[in-house]
Amino acid sequence: MIRLKGVHKRWDRPVLDGLDLHLERGVVWGLIGPAASGKSVLLKTVCGLEKPTSGEVWVDGQEISGMDEREMMKVRRKFGMLFQNNALFDFMDVGQNVAFPLVRAGGVDPEEIEERVASRLKAVGLSGSERKMPNELSGGMRKRVGIARATIASPPIVVYDEPTAGLDPVTTSKIYDLLRAIQDQSHATVMAVSSDINALRTFVGRIAMIYQGRIIYDGLESELDGCQDPVVHQFIRGELEGPL
Amino acid sequence: MARPSRLLLDPLGAVGGAVMDIATHLGAVVTLLVRVLRSLVPPRFDLPELWRNLYKMGNQSVPIVMLTAFFVGGIMVVQSAVFMKRFQATSLLGWGAGYSVLREVGPILIGLMFSGRVGSNNTAELGTMVVTEQIDGLRALSIDPMRYLIVPRVLAMVIMLFLLTVLGDLVALFGAMLFGKLIIGLEFGVFYAGLVSSLGVSDLTHGLVKALVFGLIIALTSCHFGLNVKGGAVGVGRSVNSAVVGSALGIVLSDYFLTYVLT
Repeated sequence: MIRLKGVHKRWDRPVLDGLDLHLERGVVWGLIGPAASGKSVLLKTVCGLEKPTSGEVWVDGQEISGMDEREMMKVRRKFGMLFQNNALFDFMDVGQNVAFPLVRAGGVDPEEIEERVASRLKAVGLSGSERKMPNELSGGMRKRVGIARATIASPPIVVYDEPTAGLDPVTTSKIYDLLRAIQDQSHATVMAVSSDINALRTFVGRIAMIYQGRIIYDGLESELDGCQDPVVHQFIRGELEGPL
Repeated sequence: MARPSRLLLDPLGAVGGAVMDIATHLGAVVTLLVRVLRSLVPPRFDLPELWRNLYKMGNQSVPIVMLTAFFVGGIMVVQSAVFMKRFQATSLLGWGAGYSVLREVGPILIGLMFSGRVGSNNTAELGTMVVTEQIDGLRALSIDPMRYLIVPRVLAMVIMLFLLTVLGDLVALFGAMLFGKLIIGLEFGVFYAGLVSSLGVSDLTHGLVKALVFGLIIALTSCHFGLNVKGGAVGVGRSVNSAVVGSALGIVLSDYFLTYVLT
């Protein structure tokens, strides 16, 4: 489904450094790593929002790194993305934000769009919030609107960049409950990045750690605690002493 | 102790750097113009966004443009009334006010006002969208920000500055006529006769061509700086500043060349 081969991304310093990755269809994959280790850049590279400096990015059998913006538009229809800052359009109300992917895709009746928006907002616990503007919502509510927008068109690949950043533990649990419920229905391929390792582990089946632009661990979530890599070991335990 | 400026330490380097900086921005603005033109032939842009921007940029600018234009007309009379009276040439007041308002003062002042109100707001809005990943959000939803955001804004600014200049010219002339009556007692009929007998369509089109060019300069400059914001809220502030300065410079420089070519 998603394959990265020797992907390099460089700005003033290397961000991704010969990164390899292979995700099968339907996998729920989590990515952890220190700040500024390239997590968000990796997600954006997979979605085609960032072009790699070199290497190959394959999505659903298509190599996308050499595609121009017009070709990329077609590929991106396969993705739903929740951004770190939610990226809600502040000139649209909640209903318009959530409906946007359906409206732009075309071919869906306005009444059906309205129904699907209401149903999706109900699913994320925001029934009746259609006319509210994003700046009237709390951080947790904005995240839930972002999740509703990312998943309303039932894309085959969903990318969550820090779905619980800045949220309290209870809201974090609610958000992951919501993500699990959505996943149980959609069976999409999921890539999720989070700094909240424990919460992320309750959601994903496979987890990886990125460090200095490379994947240094990629395996089952249940096997993460047994990893002997000193960097992984220190990071997941939050220890002060170690290579990090 | 404050560090000596780069201009003192390395004058050639500083000048060279500034020239490179201007050339980079100019090149990017021209590239943006080409991309906008490519989206117009055939027309591929978001019509509801165009309407929304026409309303936001135009309608809401009407009061401030009318107020400015009215007093600009008044200022023309206040400045010239003494001399007109001294040389007993008050009948030329209509011609004088019309000539300067239509050809120069109207488009340039309304352009600068438009740049300060609409251009800066546009840069801030686009810059905030960049910082909060809304532009990436559009791209992630397979929407071309150029067609959805930029082209409607550029069109709206060009159209609205043109229309606001027409309106501003009329209000400025009305202001001049009114102040002419109040300050030197010039009859409306005399003012009007001076206006229409000496001015032609070319005087009007001269100013309106300028309005179109100024609109394009403000639109492209504000969009360019908005889309290239770096560094969060501070970066947005810096870009707004650069957009206003860049637009003002563009307006004044292009005014010189347009006046030269059109006269």
